[in-house]
Amino acid sequence: MTMSNTRELAEGVGLMGGGTAAPRAPRVRERWTPGRAVAQGAIYAILIAIAVIYIFPFLIDIATSFKTEPDAAANPLSLIPQTWTTAAYQQLFLNSDFPIWFKNSVIVTVFVTAGRVFFDSLAGYALARLDFRGRGVIFAVLVAIMAVPNIVLLIPKFLVINQLGIFDSYAGMILPLLVDAAGVFIMKNFFESIPVAIEEQARIDGAGSFRIFWSIVLPMARPALITIVILSFQGSWNELAHFIVSTSDPSLTTLTKGVAQLASGQLSQGTQYPLKLAAGAIMTIPVAIVFFIFQRRIVNQSTGAVKE
Amino acid sequence: MARTGSGIRRGQTAAGWLFTAPVLVILGLFLLVPVLMAAWVSVSDWTGRGSPFAGGVHFVGAENYGTVLWSGGLAESDFGISLKNNFWYVILVVPLQTIVALFLAVMVNRRMLRGRGFFRTAYYFPSVTSSVAITVLWLFLFSASGAVNAVIGWFGVKGPNWFNDPDGIFHFGAQTGPAFLTRPTALGVSLWDWIGGPSVAMTAFVILAVFTTGGTFMLLFLAALQNLSEEVEEAALVDGASSVQRFFRVTLPQLKTTLFTVLTLGLIGCWQVFDQIYTGTRGNPSKTTLTPAYLSYQAAFGSNEWGPAAAIAFILFAIIIVFTLIQRWVLAERAVSKRRMKWIADYQATLARSAKGGSR
Amino acid sequence: MKLARAGAVLVAATAAVALTACGSGFNSGGSAQDSKKPLTVLIGSSGPAETAAVKDQVAAWSKSSGIKATVQAASNLNQQLAQGFSSGKPADVFYLSTDALAGYASNGSLYAYGDKLSDKGDFYPSLVKSFTYDGKLQCAPKDFSTLQLIINTDAWSKAGLTDADVPTTWDQLSAVAKKLTTGSQTGLVIGGEYARIGAFMTEAGGNLMNDDSTKATADSDANLKALQYVQDNLKAGDFKFAADVGAGWGGEAFGKQLGAMTIEGNWISGSQQNDYPDVKYKVVPLPKGPAGAGTLQFTNCWGVAADSKNKDGAVDLVKALTSKGDQLAFAKAFGVMPSIQSAASEWKKEFPDYAPFLDAASYAQGVPTAKGAADVVTDFNSQVAKLATGDPKAILQSTQKNLEALTK
Repeated sequence: MTMSNTRELAEGVGLMGGGTAAPRAPRVRERWTPGRAVAQGAIYAILIAIAVIYIFPFLIDIATSFKTEPDAAANPLSLIPQTWTTAAYQQLFLNSDFPIWFKNSVIVTVFVTAGRVFFDSLAGYALARLDFRGRGVIFAVLVAIMAVPNIVLLIPKFLVINQLGIFDSYAGMILPLLVDAAGVFIMKNFFESIPVAIEEQARIDGAGSFRIFWSIVLPMARPALITIVILSFQGSWNELAHFIVSTSDPSLTTLTKGVAQLASGQLSQGTQYPLKLAAGAIMTIPVAIVFFIFQRRIVNQSTGAVKE
Repeated sequence: MARTGSGIRRGQTAAGWLFTAPVLVILGLFLLVPVLMAAWVSVSDWTGRGSPFAGGVHFVGAENYGTVLWSGGLAESDFGISLKNNFWYVILVVPLQTIVALFLAVMVNRRMLRGRGFFRTAYYFPSVTSSVAITVLWLFLFSASGAVNAVIGWFGVKGPNWFNDPDGIFHFGAQTGPAFLTRPTALGVSLWDWIGGPSVAMTAFVILAVFTTGGTFMLLFLAALQNLSEEVEEAALVDGASSVQRFFRVTLPQLKTTLFTVLTLGLIGCWQVFDQIYTGTRGNPSKTTLTPAYLSYQAAFGSNEWGPAAAIAFILFAIIIVFTLIQRWVLAERAVSKRRMKWIADYQATLARSAKGGSR
Repeated sequence: MKLARAGAVLVAATAAVALTACGSGFNSGGSAQDSKKPLTVLIGSSGPAETAAVKDQVAAWSKSSGIKATVQAASNLNQQLAQGFSSGKPADVFYLSTDALAGYASNGSLYAYGDKLSDKGDFYPSLVKSFTYDGKLQCAPKDFSTLQLIINTDAWSKAGLTDADVPTTWDQLSAVAKKLTTGSQTGLVIGGEYARIGAFMTEAGGNLMNDDSTKATADSDANLKALQYVQDNLKAGDFKFAADVGAGWGGEAFGKQLGAMTIEGNWISGSQQNDYPDVKYKVVPLPKGPAGAGTLQFTNCWGVAADSKNKDGAVDLVKALTSKGDQLAFAKAFGVMPSIQSAASEWKKEFPDYAPFLDAASYAQGVPTAKGAADVVTDFNSQVAKLATGDPKAILQSTQKNLEALTK
């Protein structure tokens, strides 16, 4: 799933739950007839069935990572291994470069997330609140940039990184991902919804633009910043194509590139499913944790309008 | 009044440019310049050694585009096959994921639903995971003796060897087609192959796409649904409309903008599918999971054909734009009748008036 | 005014990068040679055994020559070579396959040091031919492997077969495969690709291209005979392709006992030892076809980059790595055969069980090496994967057309 700029923007909107809810009229009381009860039951059944389809594959993933290879081949559906074994994990952590991949992914993700949070909010604030010449043009350029699909950039990004001499380095992996147009838009939209009066008051009191941004407006932007954190973390942790073209040194391989090569059999012979599934499970855990932690906070922001 | 007019303006101008400078520099350097560079490579004969702007590289006009589009050789048929594969992928994935996302959003948005948060999280979770991890999981689930075939086996059907089956699903098992379909070719691919649909292997990828992106778009639809005013729905309920009628005639028209966004994002994403192919099948079996994005990468880094590879990328760019425009035109044409939108607006106004003006 | 401002910024940024680009473009030629500069060696390893063996030999040479050298195992050799060449900073010494030779030789990426090798005549002539481009030997062959028939001795005796039943003709191979096919095991399971089926093509007297890779010979009666033979057996169920039994390659199918026989090369020894040590096997010569004995050979060479800053050191390293001692060490570590004829008898003494592989050196044929041939072979493979229900004549005709486009 390529996270193009526009998709990130839309996802950000979705995560923030959209705008305010419409005003509510007095509720029409719906009576509970047996028909309604059956319908409601059917709906729950459908929802639960779909939820099972969505969750079961991940359970299989975790269960299989603890199976032996023949067991995995013979009993693909069972969630209980015949013999519990941590052989896959041992091989992953002791016999392969997996720890290096993990380290690299962490380094890149931390820097990219921090960079995006800071630079995107800075630019978003400037576009939303600062009145300066060229603002409209910059906005138009950003929109145009978001329209360029990632595929066009695959080869040339490699060429540019080459020319700048940052090929095969952390700089080459981090710099191109450090900002994204979608994040700027999300922050811009959010800042525009903050009452101007607060800033005007600060400006009259003599505060400079950066001061206003850093001490007054940014702390109020919690929900939007959390969205950016989630999206940046996801985007950089799950990025693949960029790491393929920006590095070739094995010591700079990230989790995505490493597991992809593992899957296509370049680092091992044969189909070692427990090993590959263990790798996939571990690389999913951090991003799942970030998702679960931060998503609660966002939902709490917008549950005022949503009936739970 | 400490500072006035131009004083504040000047400070803000400097701050404005300073604040946006990092974004502009990085996006300019790593988005704008690469596009220009790729454009140059696509019309030059650079062979992959040294800088593309060095002295020995010449302008060759549309030669690279010609190699890929009308040269009659392997490059053209590879491009044709990749287009055919991706085309069917898009045709299947975009409608399916939109319908699934809309369906889930409507279900989860219902009033009086317990565990709404749980369901929403469950449906959105696959979107959070990396395409690499999901593809690895899919390779296991859809293997010849894997979980999916086990479940299919409960119904007495023998599942195919998913990722190794190159047969087009719309060929329904026929091995060769009639001569009037196998002889004519477009872009080096016979008509019989064009109408064959995605291969069984590609279909597994289609299912993967719907699984991982349904949740993302469900969130978008949910946000939009929660913005709809309830009174309009209730008015329709009072008027006696069934829930199906309510959905198609009242809810759906109001979701048009979100629908457009979801379809556009779906199109853009689907035409660029790369990660899953690189991780999973790399074009196999029999080039039926080859996509233009992967072909472009393979031609450049594998076969050292940088010019044609860049040409493929730009052709893909054009295709995405065309599809987006078509989709926009189609949606505008089939616009909800103005009458209905007016009815909705009128009703909202009536309710607002009655709420303001007291009892009726 | 706004437009001009923004436009100026963009133009400035573009110009800055373009200038950097031009700058480094001018720097790429004429790098100063220093015979003490450290070397990087990039290899496409088949596994930990190979990586360790190369590292050991390179370290030994480093100690004796005083030049530092580091070995890197590539995760994607072709891609990393391409990236290295285009950045102007390639590895000094690297594995180069016959597929990649023409491409890199033609764009000037390689340093053709073949004439600097004193014992050039010791290499097998067919290997030298594989790595000659434009009349010059571009690089020293580092080893080679051939394909032969591998049989599961337990399944063999269970089916009541003895040593006398080892097939020497195609008909005998079919008969034996039929006898060995049981419910869970197929007689012969091979990779569904040119790199395996080509053995049959050579036994029928054909191949995709001629010896020099200057003429396309795909559409010939010999090749058609070979494909039809394989197709008949696929239809009868005695042969199967590895992908169809759920294996990644023939060796995996053989190790998992999904096939009682397979056609593979020297590397089978390493994988069997590591992954499937319980399967007992024997290597026998492939049966003779209508035109006699035939098989494919695969080889790589030690390429040296034209952009290397220590070409003399690199060539010296290659000389050491292709010496008898080093090549026999590699053979012991990961089962390849030395590329020099003087090492042949020692190798056979060391590995009597694998003698059939080396005996094939006299009649084995190489794969096409014309520029762009690899893509044509990939296309051939994608069609031949469906050979059971396909049309062999059509496959050969389209391959012929594609190959002819290369030699125009």
